Amino acid sequence: MPEIVAERYTGASIKRSEDPRILTGTGRYVDDIKLPGMLHAAFVRSPLAHARVLSVDVSAARALPGVVAAYTGADLEAMTVPGPDVLMALMGAPGPSPEFTLLATDKVRFVGDPVAMVVAADRYFAEDGCDLVEVEYDDLPPVANAAFALDPSSPPLFANLGDNIARPHSRSEFGDVPATFAQADRVMEFHIDVHRHQNVPMEGRGCVASYDSDLGVMTVYAATQSVHVSKIAVAMRLGMEHDQVRVLAGDIGGSFGLKIGASREELAAAAASRALGRPVKWVEDRGENLTASGQAREESFDVRAAVSNDGDLLGLDVKVVIDTGAYPGMGTMVPGIMQEMLPGPYKLAALGFESTAAITNKASYVAYRGPWASETFVRERVIDLMAKDLGIDPVELRLRNAAERTDPPASMITGRPLVGVTTRESLERVAQLVDIPAFRRRQAEGREQGRYLGIGVATFIEAAPGPRSPEGPSGPMGTESMRLRLEEDGMVVLFTGQMPHGQSHQTTLAQIAADEFGVPFEQVRVVVGDTAVVPFGLTGGSRSATMTGGVALHGARQLKVKVLDFASQLMEASAMDLQITDGNVWVRGDPASAIPVSEIAQQAASGQFGADVDANLEVQASFDGGEGGWSGGTHCAIVDVDIETGLVKVERYVAVEDCGALINPAVVEGQIRGGVAQGIGAVLLERSAYDQDGNYQSATFMDYLLPTASDIPRIEVDHLQTVPLDADVNFRGVGEGGMIVAPPTLVNAIEDALAPFGVRIREQHLPPARILELIDAANAT
Amino acid sequence: MVDITLTVNGVTRTGSVEARKTLADFLRDDLDLTGTHVGCEHGVCGACTVIVDDREVRSCLMLAVQAAGSQVTTIEGLAHDGGLGPLQQAMWDSHSFQCGFCTPGFVMQATAFLAAHPEADEQQIREALSGNICRCTGYQSIIDGVLLAAQRTRQG
Repeated sequence: MPEIVAERYTGASIKRSEDPRILTGTGRYVDDIKLPGMLHAAFVRSPLAHARVLSVDVSAARALPGVVAAYTGADLEAMTVPGPDVLMALMGAPGPSPEFTLLATDKVRFVGDPVAMVVAADRYFAEDGCDLVEVEYDDLPPVANAAFALDPSSPPLFANLGDNIARPHSRSEFGDVPATFAQADRVMEFHIDVHRHQNVPMEGRGCVASYDSDLGVMTVYAATQSVHVSKIAVAMRLGMEHDQVRVLAGDIGGSFGLKIGASREELAAAAASRALGRPVKWVEDRGENLTASGQAREESFDVRAAVSNDGDLLGLDVKVVIDTGAYPGMGTMVPGIMQEMLPGPYKLAALGFESTAAITNKASYVAYRGPWASETFVRERVIDLMAKDLGIDPVELRLRNAAERTDPPASMITGRPLVGVTTRESLERVAQLVDIPAFRRRQAEGREQGRYLGIGVATFIEAAPGPRSPEGPSGPMGTESMRLRLEEDGMVVLFTGQMPHGQSHQTTLAQIAADEFGVPFEQVRVVVGDTAVVPFGLTGGSRSATMTGGVALHGARQLKVKVLDFASQLMEASAMDLQITDGNVWVRGDPASAIPVSEIAQQAASGQFGADVDANLEVQASFDGGEGGWSGGTHCAIVDVDIETGLVKVERYVAVEDCGALINPAVVEGQIRGGVAQGIGAVLLERSAYDQDGNYQSATFMDYLLPTASDIPRIEVDHLQTVPLDADVNFRGVGEGGMIVAPPTLVNAIEDALAPFGVRIREQHLPPARILELIDAANAT
Repeated sequence: MVDITLTVNGVTRTGSVEARKTLADFLRDDLDLTGTHVGCEHGVCGACTVIVDDREVRSCLMLAVQAAGSQVTTIEGLAHDGGLGPLQQAMWDSHSFQCGFCTPGFVMQATAFLAAHPEADEQQIREALSGNICRCTGYQSIIDGVLLAAQRTRQG
């Protein structure tokens, strides 16, 4: 059992209660589920980026021994309800919403688009069946990039839209944009590209769908960030009532934004289970995951910056085009967040923001850890490019532009108050931890010997949850619910809609509730992953620390009041005089009076109390985020660039963070380091590459390169003293920050290393070949 | 179908498999040993690593029939009396993992490596584990877990 190392569990690196099962191979991931009579699905996928489907012949597959069923797109269309992306429908995304079927019917829209499904006794037979499906295609011109998609001559992917625009062009202005630019000493212009990359959780997508035809109930065992969103998706697309669908989830092998709701393939598996009356499992292989699960980013920015000669960033005017891929969803929602966040912690007087989202023949754009992160990349790149042009130190330039913490707080030009933001402290702390003058001396010595070292910093803030808006009716992230009850065995049980997939909620929520209620950590159980018992919720958006941590705290407090009220009748003492510590209720000052909470709960369940006594030791709690607050920080990288090979070695990486009060420092640091590793991967290795015809080039781990233990350095993490805003809940989200700020940190460092060549970097993906090209191009001018 | 006999976690197991069936699928589907995870099916990620005759093996690249007659150890075979072995304990103490999907592969790879190189330093451990992919942690906590296990073993 975990060792007790602190008087309070909250704030201590309590060992995770998830680990004993994970370390012994006894976790239960979706592919570990076996149900009696279970069948296995596999998909035939399009080899072409864009083509009309002339015919699909599944007869040979159906005739194969071991194959139980084979479905064409038309078959599935008849078994389900067409509609837009379910998440998009739920969130009311802007723009037109193309309706699409679960499998391609009239046409295929990207390499990997599912065309037919084969269901068989095992996955081997299902894939044999897929090999026998004959599909006739008629090639259409591929819409392989956003520029072509926005050209009116490009063939529309969706007939009902008439063009390839998923989010119509729009422009917003905050402050006086024309005047700010007119008054600027100089206006700098850049085109900045962020490449396409992807989540790549070690466990891909998958589900086991099991339809009970006697009860008319669908049970889906899912790998999802929200069992309730998955349930809504299944009900919508299968045309079922919500109470006929139950979604369960166990251990989940990562997600990073990929597994929200139910994918087209999972819905197809559910439809097949209903048709066949047998459980159907589909678990994607890595080729499917890389080709078809979804991809992220690929945004291009045209940026104008209004700058004073003294180094003030007065205003930005930014135009973004997002490549949403084939089936629009998240990509249409991201521009709104980018716009809101673009000023960051800086005192911009004006912001112009334009966005368009284009539909292309690529895998669909999905959420990936900090989906709006490119705004931070653009802003922190612009600051460094400014610093170079003006000859000002990048840390100094940031300090000059970062808003002071004042009362009342300064606000971003887009609206939100920068209350409690510690950007300036984080910049100063980084400068303390990394002796920059000493580094500059080492850098100069290195350059004399042909060694190119560079240092880069970047800073960010994240609305996790964000500050309470003065005029807002509710908190910054809506509300979070939790049911809590005291069981007869003395366990305090938390029912949460959070669906952890690596975030350690089973541990962290128990730490908070144990402290607040007064039981040992081991006496709290966190229940997740069953729509029949947990409230609505979603793990994502760095939501859970504040929202779920907060509801655990307030809920445990409410439950304690209720338990003490009940106990006061048993113990003939005023509830005011009772307390709970170490799992016992006792009269203050009289240790001999102690009664275990289990005994209180057993008494409550005995049925011997009348209607005037509330013996139901359960509460429904909700929390609106309280005063909220910002997460944020500054990161610093030192790199060594080999100009012969283009290889970049990250020599040192320092992360200074403020994510509020820490629940479990080891868990927090794991989130930061994991996010930074993904950011390092995004810059140096990872790219979801398509050729000019829309053929996918990165379908294996030999082509889509992930960082390994040899690529990622030790990442030093330093926690700033936070500015508390709320009386009780100052935990803030930390899931996305590493991935948000690591790419600009690293690119800034690489550009610094290559400064002797005059290299200016306006892109994010810098594999060795690209480093060499940048040096060559700079030498040529 | 081919009949095979092998020893898995010290127990003699038999099976009747198609020649094309991977060792990973045999362990998971036929023997219900689902602790071994399949992460890429092309030998790169290392999640499916098991120990076959004292050597670490990617069980997605080995056929079940090739393992006939062998001694196979999986993650389920490391725990003693339902508890944790020394490496697993050190990894728990070090907060090594998050989602846990890559965990069995890292644990088996590190088990095989430490058995052969009990004196390994951090750099050697990083190299030895650089064929295993973790998407959650940034590796530092995993490396720390292996270092701690090695240190405890040396101190007896």
